[in-house]
Amino acid sequence: MVKAIEVENFSYKYPDGTIALNGITLDVEYGERLALIGPNGAGKSTLLLAITGFVRGTGRVVIDGMEITNGNLKKVRSRIGCCLENPEDQLFMPTLFDDVAFGPLNMGLDSQQVKERVNLALAEVGLAGMAERAPHHLSAGQKRAAAIATVLSMSPKIITLDEPDGSLDPRNRDNLVKLLAGLSQTLVIATCNMDFAAAVSDKAAVIDGGRVIAAGPAEQIMSDSKLMTSHGLEVPRKFINGYSATGFSG
Amino acid sequence: MHHAYIDKFAYQDSPIHCLDARIKFLVTVVFTAVVISLPRTSVSILFCYAVGPFVVLVMGGIPLRFVLKHILYVSPFVLVLALTSPWYDRTAATIVFGPWIWHTTVGWLRCWSILCKFVVTMLALIALISTTRFANLLAGLQRLGVPRLLVIQMGFLYRYIFLLIDSAHHILRARAARSAGGVAFGRGAKFAAAMVGSLFVRSIDTAEHINSAMQARGFDGNWRTINRLQVCVVDYVFVVIAVSFILGLYFFVKPLLG
Amino acid sequence: MANELLSVPVATGTLAIAAGGLGLICRKVSRIVSSDKLSLMGILGAFIFAAQMVNFQLPAMPGTSGHMVGAVLLAIILGPHLAAIVISSVIIVQCLIFQDGGLLALGCNIINMALVPSYVGYFLYKGITVGQSSGRRTYIGAMLACVVAVESGAVLVPIEAALSGVLAVPFSTFLITMIGVHFLVGLVEGLVTVAVLSYLQQVRPDLVLDSLPGKIRLSRKTVLVTLLVFAMIAAAGLSLLASKMPDGLEWSYRERPNQPDFKPIIANENTTITAVDQLQSKYTLLPDYTVRGASADTSKGWTSFAGVLGSLLTMLAVWAGMSLMKRKQTKALGSS
Repeated sequence: MVKAIEVENFSYKYPDGTIALNGITLDVEYGERLALIGPNGAGKSTLLLAITGFVRGTGRVVIDGMEITNGNLKKVRSRIGCCLENPEDQLFMPTLFDDVAFGPLNMGLDSQQVKERVNLALAEVGLAGMAERAPHHLSAGQKRAAAIATVLSMSPKIITLDEPDGSLDPRNRDNLVKLLAGLSQTLVIATCNMDFAAAVSDKAAVIDGGRVIAAGPAEQIMSDSKLMTSHGLEVPRKFINGYSATGFSG
Repeated sequence: MHHAYIDKFAYQDSPIHCLDARIKFLVTVVFTAVVISLPRTSVSILFCYAVGPFVVLVMGGIPLRFVLKHILYVSPFVLVLALTSPWYDRTAATIVFGPWIWHTTVGWLRCWSILCKFVVTMLALIALISTTRFANLLAGLQRLGVPRLLVIQMGFLYRYIFLLIDSAHHILRARAARSAGGVAFGRGAKFAAAMVGSLFVRSIDTAEHINSAMQARGFDGNWRTINRLQVCVVDYVFVVIAVSFILGLYFFVKPLLG
Repeated sequence: MANELLSVPVATGTLAIAAGGLGLICRKVSRIVSSDKLSLMGILGAFIFAAQMVNFQLPAMPGTSGHMVGAVLLAIILGPHLAAIVISSVIIVQCLIFQDGGLLALGCNIINMALVPSYVGYFLYKGITVGQSSGRRTYIGAMLACVVAVESGAVLVPIEAALSGVLAVPFSTFLITMIGVHFLVGLVEGLVTVAVLSYLQQVRPDLVLDSLPGKIRLSRKTVLVTLLVFAMIAAAGLSLLASKMPDGLEWSYRERPNQPDFKPIIANENTTITAVDQLQSKYTLLPDYTVRGASADTSKGWTSFAGVLGSLLTMLAVWAGMSLMKRKQTKALGSS
């Protein structure tokens, strides 16, 4: 059965020789929401770069049944969209419309289709009617939502997000959780915030030192306090026994 | 910030804001050309010409105080230029204006002419910019034939200027949080250099991230755009009014005035 | 440069040259530019923009304020074609958004600050450093290239102004001041360029390489010939202008036709002056003798008065009308 993402013994070294990823093997099924958790410098971002084809190392990476090669990068990237850590980096056009339309235009769609996609994507992230705004007029939460919209408009099957909750205040983080909950795509989310991870994922993988330490259902992995603390993490409040969840949906 | 202010006005709604960007741009260029080509000693006709952009500004809902402030802001350089005329040209001249008669020099007349021309052309340019969204202006320029690469570059530039200003803000804020009191000049200069340096490296990193984002969304070297501009009846009406105003003043009123 | 320094024919001419040049460059480069260059161009443009806001305003001399251009730095990092495009974009955005430099002066500004310095600076730098990308030679090359590039752009300003015949300042004074001021500016720019280059050498040496994949292979001969042609055109232009008397003096000569020593000078340069004069008079319907006319004919004085008053009243009426309309609108909204 075809899986959404299959990573088989993938390794990658930086140009100066440091090992970033060491024999990663990881599978993600369609419709799953995987949280990549781990301490800073563990290799979460690098792993995301690997499955979106920006980093090429040894081993296999298969996205939606297609193995990543030098020749099919564009095709792969139409199946898997990536949201970078800094939303500003994804908003480089003078208006939001242009940014969200960038992807579909590169896919070769005609203007009518592009316009429809843009409107749909913006509505999905709660920014309907803001198409003519300039990105620097948006608030931090809106920028994050806009960045996601730029990826959604390409209708990918899989979306990766690198620390999407970074520098968001609690209310915006809450909105983001709701947004992600409403998406139907397969999600891979790298984050340092355990509570956020618990709120948005149903599976979790602990990454440390460039390796996959453990992977499995989110609750099972993240309520293992020994596992969490030994890798510089903590058990999310949601999974602490006797804790009644407030503030987060899901 | 100053520029962000102009930006805000462009997002307002008014009959002027709805006009096609290409039309507005072309009209502004022609207007500027005609005004500049007026004789070097004409002053009164310039008042008549000023009515045009003034009306546009008022109809566009642009506050006049803002316009005047902006003109003052960019005027010092032209002031210097204008004042060279009376300095170098001392030929005597007599001016009759209504009930008054002045004895002055041609140089001063030219000086006033330069200043008035400046104000009038500035009015026109501000009228254009504050009623047109930059993205639309760029789209209009592209349709008028400006090379695509240049238009893309200007779009990026516009976006990144704001990014850069934000980054600079952050650094300055961090600096302010860390400095207890005043700073000696030597330290300040060093800090400025360090700030520029770090901004520069950060910017290059940002450029690379943006490159990744572009490639992640399938960019393959071909820049594709959607046509979003449409000329409608109102635009034609505007053109007719503007052209008749500009040429009418030139051919009928100018010969009458001094 | 401001609008007021130019006449329409010169403005149109330079605009045509600038547009043609840019169009050529864009067409040539479009095929080779990759996305990583695009994003870099944008960011560097923003930097140049910020750097150009540092103005050295010189009192008493009209023309331009001296400010850094950044052409050489960009040309070293991006190559002369992309550098010209980036600086042109900065100039256009400055003109449109910040009204720094007039619409009509765009052509001149692009030629003076984007086209000429980028290529002159680049070739000078390449010539001096001969393929090296680090070390003392590059720094000397960068300094020299900056000064020459800035000067070559600055020199064009008095020429363009004189061709327009607008300036009251004598040509030679203007030229000398521009050269002087921009020598200092060039030095400062050179220092900044060297500083940035050395910084980049440490941090990102990969950027400071010859950056266009399809190398612009220009033989030395081509470069020399081009420079020679330019020099000849410049010399011809300068001689033409030197013979045409600067405007302020010309006016005063016309006022004193009785003075015999001036007559022969006027007679000698007759052809060139009349040629240029004819060109100018074509574009101004009435010669600028209206001042005399006004003193002789008081009715003109009254019509001027009427014109000015009428305009002011019209503006007042429009403004009042709009304010009334707005107040009605807000009242209507408030009551409903």
